[in-house]
Amino acid sequence: MSAKVNYRRDLEKAAKQMILIHRADILMKLILRMVVRATKATHAGMLVYDSKRDEYVTMVSKGKEGFRIPSGFVKIKKDNPLIRYFTDKELNFPKNAIIWDELEKLHNLKHIRSDKKLKDFLDELMSHLALYQAKVCIPGFFRKDLVGILFLGEKKSNRNFNEEEIGFLSVLASDVVMTIKNAWLIEDLNHQLEINKRLFLQTVLALSSSIEAKDKYTVGHTERVTEYSLAMAEELKRRKEIDDCDKFMEDLRVAALLHDIGKIGIPESILNKETSLDNEERSIMQDHPAIGARILEHIEEFREVLEGVKYHHEKFDGSGYPFGLRGEKIPLIASIISLADAFDAMITDRPYRKALKVEDALMEIKKNKGKQFSPQLVDVFMESFNRKGNSKE
Amino acid sequence: MKKAVLVVDDEREIVDFLESFLSRFDITTIKATTGQEALNQYDEYKPEFVFLDIKMPDKDGIEVLKELKERNPAVKVIMITGSEEKEVQSQAKDLGAIDYITKPLDLSDLQKKIKEYIIG
Repeated sequence: MSAKVNYRRDLEKAAKQMILIHRADILMKLILRMVVRATKATHAGMLVYDSKRDEYVTMVSKGKEGFRIPSGFVKIKKDNPLIRYFTDKELNFPKNAIIWDELEKLHNLKHIRSDKKLKDFLDELMSHLALYQAKVCIPGFFRKDLVGILFLGEKKSNRNFNEEEIGFLSVLASDVVMTIKNAWLIEDLNHQLEINKRLFLQTVLALSSSIEAKDKYTVGHTERVTEYSLAMAEELKRRKEIDDCDKFMEDLRVAALLHDIGKIGIPESILNKETSLDNEERSIMQDHPAIGARILEHIEEFREVLEGVKYHHEKFDGSGYPFGLRGEKIPLIASIISLADAFDAMITDRPYRKALKVEDALMEIKKNKGKQFSPQLVDVFMESFNRKGNSKE
Repeated sequence: MKKAVLVVDDEREIVDFLESFLSRFDITTIKATTGQEALNQYDEYKPEFVFLDIKMPDKDGIEVLKELKERNPAVKVIMITGSEEKEVQSQAKDLGAIDYITKPLDLSDLQKKIKEYIIG
């Protein structure tokens, strides 16, 4: 009496845990371990439909050594009698379970022995059950699809599985199937999300290289600015100075890749001019952050990105363009890109001047601490630069 | 005399399962979980049959197959392969493996092969 009550409580407890577990493999292990313990069966396993193979594969199996089947080691095809028992509409069996002892009884019935087709099917079914040393198979359906089969070996006591046990096992099997279905759904969604993310990043890269096609001096520049910017963000992350790091890093990467996108709106004659710009040309050139912002303003998800593009020529002391923002008024994302942008400009050749040596550029940046650049960010930049240098050695 | 099969797979669970499966046909299993252990076990027991996993960390199945064939050209080796390893399957056949089974495997196919090759 007491054993029966405990068994029932065990199963109910498991059913409750199930709701909390979303990983189908973990859940299956948990359930099977519990089933083996509660029913005292030699072993229990789960065959799960694999859509890529269009077959059923053993996913987990628990119980006595040698009985349990290694995960992924064994499969059965869809036309296997174990599957057809549940899915073939012409076969008129109780669909809630395959029970060895019931099959044996059927096998001995006169009218079945005289029905060759049915008898052959039963023989085949029983020989497959024997291969798995299974005494009971419980189907797990999701709507009309047979997603999995729970199978159990014989009880160590040799007693039969009673109706109540079959009932509970059915509940478990269908709950497992529900979790498997959910896990598949989440997998599909994640896969789709991955594809979308990749598509998005490739689109951003395509946009960013469209500037390089027009302005030969930016070839390689965007990529380097992105690299320096992300290195600074890593340093800020290390110092725990940014909340929601992942989102910030994503936005920063995109903003850095697109920071010069507004140059698409600047005439090539100005972009590629070999001598210094005159006042009018310079003022046209200084429009590129605002043009960039206008290009991106319709993309709602780009609010942060847009700030990076729009303000990347602002300076800490307020002497930048186009808005003359000062200090903390400049968004962090823009300050980072601004510093990375300035540093890369210094260390590359321009038509009207030669590149600075790296050490001289670093000196120049230190000199502008608190003037062009935020003092805190200069420290962060130096640290990230040293770290990168050290890691390369 | 009881028939004996050397079962080689780096996954202990698979070896144990095959041992129990083979015992249903009254076949003795000699176990190995690495390529080197497989060769040592072979030298000691000289079984007529070998189930040999292809992917193993120390010495892969193809290497073990070659060395087994050097020891005894008549040894009957059935390879255990993944379904994607078509190339290795034909390589193993060229080296003298009598057959292969692909993981995941159908137990009824496995049973057929045991009856066909081992029980005869």
